Amino acid sequence: MDELFAPPTYEWQRLSPRYVTLRQLSALLFWPLVLTIPAVLIGLVWNLWWVAGLIWLAAVLIALDRAWFGRKSWRSWGYAERDDHLYITHGAWFRHLTAVPYGRMQLVEVESGPLERAFGLATVTLKTASPDTDARIPGLSASDATQLRDRITELGESRSSGL
Amino acid sequence: MSEPRVTQPPPAPAPAPPVRPGVKQAERPHPLTPFIRGWLVLVAIVLGFARQFLENGSSGGGINTSDLRWIVPFGVAVVLAAAAAGFLSWYFTRFVIDDDELRIETGVVVKRSRRVPFERLQSVDIVQPFAARFFGLAELRLEAGAGGSGIKLRYLSRVDASRLRDYLLTRAHGHSARIADVADSALPSRFTDLGQGDRTLVRVSPQRLIGSFLLTNNWLVTAGFALLIFVITAAFQVAVALPGLIPVVISAVSMIGSRVIAMFNFTVAESGRGVRITRGLTNLASQSVPVNRVQGVRITQPLLWRPFGWYRVDVDILGYTSSDEGRDRDDATTVLLPVGAAADVSHLLDRVLPGIDLDTLELRRAPRRAAVLSWFDFWTLRSGYDARVVVTEQGWLTHARYVVPHAKAQSVRMYQGPLQRRLGLADVHIDTPRGPVKAVARLLEARAARELAMSQLGRARAARSTAEGRAALSPDDASEADLLDHFGIGADTLIGTGGEAKVYALDAERVLRVYHSNHQSTVEVVGQLQGLYRAWADQQMAVPLILQNGTWAGRVYTVNRRLPGENFADWLAGADPTERPAALMSYLDAAGAVQQLPAPIPGFARLVGSGAPARFDSLVSLLTAQLQPQLEVSRVALQADIPQVARVWEELVRALHARQCRPAVVHGDFCPANIYLARSDDGRLRISGVGDFSPHTLVADPWMDLAGAVIFLELEPYPEAVADSRWLEQQALSRWGRDLARWIAVYRRFYGFYFSSAYRFDPALYQWCIRQLTPLGG
Repeated sequence: MDELFAPPTYEWQRLSPRYVTLRQLSALLFWPLVLTIPAVLIGLVWNLWWVAGLIWLAAVLIALDRAWFGRKSWRSWGYAERDDHLYITHGAWFRHLTAVPYGRMQLVEVESGPLERAFGLATVTLKTASPDTDARIPGLSASDATQLRDRITELGESRSSGL
Repeated sequence: MSEPRVTQPPPAPAPAPPVRPGVKQAERPHPLTPFIRGWLVLVAIVLGFARQFLENGSSGGGINTSDLRWIVPFGVAVVLAAAAAGFLSWYFTRFVIDDDELRIETGVVVKRSRRVPFERLQSVDIVQPFAARFFGLAELRLEAGAGGSGIKLRYLSRVDASRLRDYLLTRAHGHSARIADVADSALPSRFTDLGQGDRTLVRVSPQRLIGSFLLTNNWLVTAGFALLIFVITAAFQVAVALPGLIPVVISAVSMIGSRVIAMFNFTVAESGRGVRITRGLTNLASQSVPVNRVQGVRITQPLLWRPFGWYRVDVDILGYTSSDEGRDRDDATTVLLPVGAAADVSHLLDRVLPGIDLDTLELRRAPRRAAVLSWFDFWTLRSGYDARVVVTEQGWLTHARYVVPHAKAQSVRMYQGPLQRRLGLADVHIDTPRGPVKAVARLLEARAARELAMSQLGRARAARSTAEGRAALSPDDASEADLLDHFGIGADTLIGTGGEAKVYALDAERVLRVYHSNHQSTVEVVGQLQGLYRAWADQQMAVPLILQNGTWAGRVYTVNRRLPGENFADWLAGADPTERPAALMSYLDAAGAVQQLPAPIPGFARLVGSGAPARFDSLVSLLTAQLQPQLEVSRVALQADIPQVARVWEELVRALHARQCRPAVVHGDFCPANIYLARSDDGRLRISGVGDFSPHTLVADPWMDLAGAVIFLELEPYPEAVADSRWLEQQALSRWGRDLARWIAVYRRFYGFYFSSAYRFDPALYQWCIRQLTPLGG
């Protein structure tokens, strides 16, 4: 994190540390599961079990890499609530900084999938009139998420401006 | 005008049935609607089969004539079913568009009722498909915010459609209007849908449209590809490539459809309610773009247009999806100008983004090392901003320039990929609603990118808060703000709001009057007042002088000479009680001085307003004619609130009949708010000028203003106003004679009737009117 993508004056607020575990777990589950299908197919159809084994090895390596990357990714996320804007940053390699004026918010969503729920996490998404606005904060603890939603909805109401 | 109603009191004994709110007459679309929809289905079927026939015909097999046995009955059945469905949907579609609401009810099985607040309307379009055009019918399309919540009303007669459109647009701009006000607007031309009041800004000639189309990149690629296939076929004597031609031909045809036929006769006109676009060779589409709802502008130039200096302009409007190559050719498009010279473009931009000069805006180039990432167009990447807009440019095959007003920008994003990071570059995105505008300042120096993004947030915030401040001031937000911007003044220069206009101080010498309504009649009134003021300019009493008048952002304005002194009503509110008598005496003098102004025509007359100057053969016919429109509005209310109103009216008419006087100029609204007071060199307070002559201004009984001066004083909010009014009446009687007392009483009734239409908008004033309307007696 360098100052180029830093918010003005304040420190970033971080996501819940459980988000790292969530990311690592989902990476470890996802890659082996997905790559098992072609591996088994290749093994059964062409009887090339050594290729299947290689694919499996690759799957495990990718999963481990992703799992390792999970911490780095977690560290890249951050958000900051300022007077007029919500700042969100993410991406370790492909870095993004999004600033959304509270007055431009059309709605705020809180979502939580089954895996996220198991970890007590939720995702907050801000929508504006522009489909390009990419303002999503994943991995917030459920209580943080609802509190954040309530705060920014209130700010949005007081600052809302016509299109 | 004769005097048919002089003896017949307008509050007639048999009152018209009062309109009961709640039980409204919902209308249905035009009864021909199902037929046209059936016809459209028939055309679609015939075309579908024809295409099938042609495509299969070349490769043998497919449909042949024997199949017609079942094709024809099947086609007939489908058409009948479509017509029946059309009939049902027509029968169950009802709409209400009136003074209070816009409501549409649809659905045969599932009923759906939608009520749209007038202020939410983003645009109102009229579309005439070819078949509907034959029958003089049109479809009305309403957009109400983002998210495809479009409403289609089909089909209405052209007269109704254009009348409703005018009304809805007036309401959408926040003006109050009644549907009856737009009822008799002249029918626009059949081919361009432009009314008489509309001024053409740009018209695209067919030659230029077709010429420019042939030079677009897309067309050249498509045509080149088709040519290539032909050449291969001819050269190698093989027909393998021919099937590949079909999609090419289809895309070419659809391109011609959307870029030439749909854009034919493209005309941009300035109408009272925004910019109006009409276009189409077969289908006629007419869009009204509300200028204050333009979210961004894109100006593009394909490479081969460069020698001709042509440009194309698109705009982002909420609710219009980008139908750049749209299949629905009669859909609303985002195109503001399909092709035009630089002069046309700047002419239109003046209208859409007033006061913005793109030529002087300084743009910064992407640094040289951007070539590593974007070797094919790095030299075209530029970006910059000024106080009102941010601008980005890119591309050379098609050069595009994006302009986004700060007040309309949504979020701001910064992006940096790994390669950009290594080179120290970054992108800044200015997000706008869905549409052709995608403003991205690409590959900026990282520091510059950060600086642009952060400062952009501040500029957008500032722009939003001024826009909000203005919106809170007046519902006619953007047009008025535009007008003020045009004159380089802020909303804080407001010095007064009257019944007709808002007044802003331009400088010590001049004021800007912004009229509330933008009806044609307002322009007429301004012209008449200009003439009157000029004729009175060298009189002893100062009257306003119109230095300049015009229309900007759809608003009628005048620049007037500023009257010297302070507004008398403001002065009265905080005046030293010992100074009031002298000032009030001068106020009475001024009321007497108005009658000394030379009347432009002899006899009794109305000087300002529609059809003015209009002469009348007697005082009573002039004054009853003045009261007629007010009573149309308030008759029912008056009858309900004043039992003996017919008697009051008869007494008033009888008294006016008996009045003998020499006709003289009457201000008609001689009240402290329209009068200016100054302290002369010797320290005495004197009325320095009389402003706001208006459609109330007449050539009539000179005592009307004396009565008005006395009567209207009691409406002032300061505590002793009523007592001062009594005192002033005594002063007036001692100067003009006891006889005046009776006429002040008569004109109390007159003004009571005259302002009774206030029951619609000013209950306090209406209550005052009711108190005036007591029987005269004796």
